[in-house]
Amino acid sequence: MKPTSGARGERRFALLLFAPAFCALVLTTTVPLVYLVWTSLMRVDLSMPWLRGFAGVDNYVKMGVDPRFWNSLWLTLVYTTSTVALQVVVGLSLALLVLRIPRGQAALRIAAILPIVLAPVVVGLFWRTLVLSPDVGLVDVVTRALGFGSHNWLGDPQLALISVIAIHTWQWTPFAFLVLLASLSALPPDVFEAARIDRAGAWQRFRHITLPLIRPAIVIVVIMRTMIALSAFAAIFAATGGGPGTATEILNLYAYRTSFSELNLGYGASLAVVLLAITLGVSLVMFGVRRAR
Amino acid sequence: MSTRRLRTVLLVGMAAVLLAVWAFPVLWALLTSFKSERDVLAYPPGLIFEPTLRNYRDVMFGPSSLLPNLWSSTVVAGASTLLTLLFAVPAAYALARLQFPGRRASGFYVLATQMLPPVGLIIPYYLVLQKVGGLDTYAGLVVIYLTFSLPFAIWLMVSYFEDVPQEMEEAALLDRAGRMRALWYVILPQVRGGIAVTTIFVFLNAWNEFLFAVVLGGNRVRPVTVAMFNFISVEQTLWAKLAAGAMLAMAPVIVLGLLAQRHIVKGLTVGAVKGGGRR
Amino acid sequence: MKRRSKATLATPSRRRMLKQTAALIAAPYVLRSAHAQGNADVAPYTAAKINWRQAEGEEITVAFIPASYFDNLIAIAPTFEALSGVKVRFEKVPPGQIRQKAMLDLSSKTATYATSATDPMYYPLYVANKWVEPLDRYLNDAALTDPAWFNYNDILKAWRDADSFEGKPYGIPYDGEVTVQVYRKDLYDAKGLKPAETLDEFLKNAAALTDAGNRMYGMALRGFAGAGQNMYIYPSLFKEFGGNWFNGKKVVVNSPEGVRALDWYVDAESKYAPPAVRNWNWPDIADAFSQGTLGCYIDAHSSAAVLMNPEKSKVIGKIAFARWPKGPTGKRVTSIWNWGLPINAALTDKQKRATWLFITWAASAETQARTSWKFAGAAKRSGLNRTSLWKSPEFLAMTSNIGPNFVEAALGSLEQDTDVDWRPRVPQWPAIGDTMGTAIQSALVGQKNSREALDEAQARIDQILKG
Repeated sequence: MKPTSGARGERRFALLLFAPAFCALVLTTTVPLVYLVWTSLMRVDLSMPWLRGFAGVDNYVKMGVDPRFWNSLWLTLVYTTSTVALQVVVGLSLALLVLRIPRGQAALRIAAILPIVLAPVVVGLFWRTLVLSPDVGLVDVVTRALGFGSHNWLGDPQLALISVIAIHTWQWTPFAFLVLLASLSALPPDVFEAARIDRAGAWQRFRHITLPLIRPAIVIVVIMRTMIALSAFAAIFAATGGGPGTATEILNLYAYRTSFSELNLGYGASLAVVLLAITLGVSLVMFGVRRAR
Repeated sequence: MSTRRLRTVLLVGMAAVLLAVWAFPVLWALLTSFKSERDVLAYPPGLIFEPTLRNYRDVMFGPSSLLPNLWSSTVVAGASTLLTLLFAVPAAYALARLQFPGRRASGFYVLATQMLPPVGLIIPYYLVLQKVGGLDTYAGLVVIYLTFSLPFAIWLMVSYFEDVPQEMEEAALLDRAGRMRALWYVILPQVRGGIAVTTIFVFLNAWNEFLFAVVLGGNRVRPVTVAMFNFISVEQTLWAKLAAGAMLAMAPVIVLGLLAQRHIVKGLTVGAVKGGGRR
Repeated sequence: MKRRSKATLATPSRRRMLKQTAALIAAPYVLRSAHAQGNADVAPYTAAKINWRQAEGEEITVAFIPASYFDNLIAIAPTFEALSGVKVRFEKVPPGQIRQKAMLDLSSKTATYATSATDPMYYPLYVANKWVEPLDRYLNDAALTDPAWFNYNDILKAWRDADSFEGKPYGIPYDGEVTVQVYRKDLYDAKGLKPAETLDEFLKNAAALTDAGNRMYGMALRGFAGAGQNMYIYPSLFKEFGGNWFNGKKVVVNSPEGVRALDWYVDAESKYAPPAVRNWNWPDIADAFSQGTLGCYIDAHSSAAVLMNPEKSKVIGKIAFARWPKGPTGKRVTSIWNWGLPINAALTDKQKRATWLFITWAASAETQARTSWKFAGAAKRSGLNRTSLWKSPEFLAMTSNIGPNFVEAALGSLEQDTDVDWRPRVPQWPAIGDTMGTAIQSALVGQKNSREALDEAQARIDQILKG
């Protein structure tokens, strides 16, 4: 008797607590999403109002023959995989390194917090101007001092792509570093001791003991950073605007430019839908992988 | 022994280099902000120059002062953090601790909403806000910020509620008013740390948001991220001022970051289970 | 999309001028003292045979970009309010966003902005959507315009045409600019060079001055991608090489002339310009020039303002001006860029009248003079909209310190080197301009060759125009 009414009461109470957030989410995310999908099926081009009308899947078909779309898709892939890989590799190496230094860990943690809290748009802006400008930018000063000469960091297509990848990596590696450092510190010291007594080499210790133990943390870092890399926008927007040419125009920027520079809202919406589909697909796969382990 | 010491020195050296890589761009901006425009353009750039506070005076009290924008950011970020917590904390408790139909689906729904591309949402938001007169208003932007802050905050709080010891579930046997009291007096104090962490992250995310603010804001509501971006399109040639502006825009979050350092590291690691980034 | 913004002239200190402008906006006290100087004198306006108070009590919002030439107008706007009884609220929107914001407002018909600083290339789009009013009605209505006083035909023809579409005016030019050669007279004299008359000579001059080892480059043209960036310079080259944007109604960008023009652009930038120029906009070029590392550039006449800032510039007194060099066709083609003011079609009738009064007040000869040499602050406008003012001794006196030939080169360009089809005027311009800006930059940086870049742009433009 009592458990039943308790369960019903619990259900009611849960709904009471969850409903407000649920309604807010429906209103701020799902309703606009429906509108977005609907717009992606329409021909809405502000520069050609006379063409407005239902387009079915035309916008999606158009992507097939749109080289800029394929370019942006490719760049999204390059940008996402390289930034995530760099963050994990650099972050992990750094965490392993820091674990061994006797002092100064606190200073490093503070320095690591610095980029994370900054607004991506401001990061993009000051990299573009103060860090990467030829002649007076920090990187240029350093490369010249080291004898590598002056480079057109954001003006050359390849270098620009490398630069935006570097900006993202600079800002977010600390995240991977802090998470991995925390999980490394939480490992019981005796596993290492045992391995040391076995006289296993440093690499073997890492490969066979440390890595499996922190694998869950790495998987999570990969998942989270992938999601964020896929939605990256402001830093690239501020640093290169997608240029030079289309050298750094990832899908997000292409969708923005299509909607707001070219005013083709229908096509822009369909690009955003594709981006959403990719994000969902990738995350499903990743969560699947995570569960499988 | 001496090889070991050598290795330590080497390790510390490497760590110092990495520290420099992280800190330098910001320090360079700091340095530039004290230069005169002429010194900024000096070739090669020098470390020796006559420092000036003029850039700061200009960006604070000059014609394109950033102070109103800092205020805008504070209001928007503060209000949206409050609103987010109001919605997120109860919802997270329900998801973490209570049984109700559709709980799993709801959890997945919350997670999925986090993946919407902001670019695709701007136009619907614009049209709706315009209909209700919400463009360039604090209320409009604050509500829109729920889009990304709410799913994130819910998931972060869920992981904290899950850590609350089972004994607390005694509360589940009470009636509704009793449950509410138990949540308020017993369970919430247990997740104080989690609430602090969530507050910090939601605040930072809102403070740093750019895309919605630039399209949906305007003259009255122009957060500092937008103001900085505008700065470069209007004052492109004044680099020292730009640097001073950037320092001013970054200062509040840097201070917050340093003060709440421990919380942030904790938030990153706890949140690492289910969320924890920003757009 | 980020366009130039600080197009004011040449005064001792830019910072001080900013401050003074700000002081004028901020402090009613200063404004009152300006009144005392006689700037509030409404007599020159009441000479117009119209009823200035016909829209009394209306309130309108005007979107400008934050630039001193608009700041000056805002500073004296109380005169208009006193004259007309119309309250004007100004909103400053950065140049990168003003088109977007104006368009979002116009397309949703919310009538937030009664008028806004408008890019001439956007009229075809606005007209196609019927977002703005045709202004011939207003010009011909004796109750609204006194033709003798307003003298519409005194406004520079090139700008009037740029702000008209299919024979009807849709915007009234307020401030504008022409592109001219800006060169280092001292360096040219030392090497016995003359300002280029042709594009070939332009390259020869540049070659003679370029010494990359010593950070000295012969020339620079903006290379940054964008409809208002490299697509602001390239159209002049395209036209000078004999290009034509249209084949019937079709927009054609990959003609042989187009490829040759782009080849020239790529070649010049890669040989004689600083490597970073492909990512530069005008302020970067002006900065480099002010530091003495450039021999010549072609850009807006108003960019000279940056060169006259004694705090930064090392080239004051060493500058001279010349018109565009002629292309292979013997033509010179300059920019017809201007900020014009249209009327939002979604306004009520009374608001439209109030807006029109504001526009005619702003574009009138008297207001133009009051925001230029008569202006109390240090920043004096140089983009005046009227032939008579460009030829006035006061304007000549005000600009004399910039360098020899300033007015001669700029006015000569304005009167003889303009072409209304400088850029393709079609509703789809925003997309076409963006596509072209991207294509040009990808050629400049060597991502593609000119032919490929333009073919690809053509394919995209065909897609865009396909109905």
